Amino acid sequence: MALHLNLLHEEITELRQRQRDPLKIGTKVLGGLGALMLLFYAFKAYQTLQIKSRLSSVEREWAKVEPAVTAAQKRTAELNAIIGTTRVLDATVDDRFLWAPLLQRVSRCVAPNAQLTSIAGTSTENGKAIDLVVEGIAAGREPRAAAEELRQLLSEQLGEKYGRVKVEFKMLEDLDTLVNVAGANMAMSRYIISASLTPEHTEGAKPTVPRAPKP
Amino acid sequence: MTSGKISKDQIQKIVLSGIGFIALVYVYFTFFLGPLNKGRATAETAIADLQTKLASSKTDMEKSRNLADRAAAATNRFAALKAMSPEGAPIAWFPPRIKILFANQKIDKASIRLESSEPFTASEMAEWSAYNWIIDLPQTDFATLGQAIAELENAEPLLAVNKINIKAVGDDPQFQQVTLTATSTLRK
Repeated sequence: MALHLNLLHEEITELRQRQRDPLKIGTKVLGGLGALMLLFYAFKAYQTLQIKSRLSSVEREWAKVEPAVTAAQKRTAELNAIIGTTRVLDATVDDRFLWAPLLQRVSRCVAPNAQLTSIAGTSTENGKAIDLVVEGIAAGREPRAAAEELRQLLSEQLGEKYGRVKVEFKMLEDLDTLVNVAGANMAMSRYIISASLTPEHTEGAKPTVPRAPKP
Repeated sequence: MTSGKISKDQIQKIVLSGIGFIALVYVYFTFFLGPLNKGRATAETAIADLQTKLASSKTDMEKSRNLADRAAAATNRFAALKAMSPEGAPIAWFPPRIKILFANQKIDKASIRLESSEPFTASEMAEWSAYNWIIDLPQTDFATLGQAIAELENAEPLLAVNKINIKAVGDDPQFQQVTLTATSTLRK
């Protein structure tokens, strides 16, 4: 066997030591890792750029549509407000109590021997209930009968159009003074009639006709 | 130096490499990948939002068109009711208008005064107020009054008479003295 002399022993050892240098290995590993990370980063950046480009196209599309949409939304809000206000105003118009037809019906009830001196009407609960006070003088041989006739007529007339009609005497008294009607002296009575009603006429509801107070 | 053992110098270098690795990972995730992912997530959210808006925009525009068709009657009615409240304070124009209305019904001596006013609480009536008026008619006859009130109620749909007081004038029972308390709904 030939004798092998390693004359470069020290140099080879140094070379091996250099190759096993942990810092060098670490730097290489780090470099490799860094390269991998960079590749991964580049891949992610590419994806992000694609998404941002998609975002730009969607934003352009939205920018085209947005003014029309905003205008439509504004118009919708305006229309809803108008519809709401009109609904309330219509309710105000429809729910109010109309006095002219009531006065017309009252005028139909007054006979020549009955005179009205005062009419006071009040609409309460936003026009849902009406109170009426009629004051006057009746003349005739039977002035109380004339007043009662007026009360009954009021009850009939109002009962035809309105609901829950209640007509009653608050006061009915004979007066001492006589009045000349068509050349004849007639006795007089003073009356106060109170009526309550609701604007809606209820089918089948008959007016309440209480009896006249006894003299 | 023996080949099997790690020297102190090598240990220092390994530690240094480790620190370098940690620093690299930290910098990579904090300053590179993190912001990139955040930006991508933000963009994806924005895209989703915009796509939702785009999808709903078609519905909104369709709804608006349908509503405009359906609200035509309400819009016209609203315009008509709004036109009944001219510009300016109601105290300036309402009493003269009512005076003219009564004058046209042959009731000349009408006096109209504002008793109070209050805004509506409902949100849809924010631009409207209720004005309470007292209308005095010192001399009229019953038939004329009836016609005048009918005309008033027809001409002023937003006016509601709350109280009516008719009294015979002492000397001449043919004539009556009338006081009306009315509430009108007018624009502020």
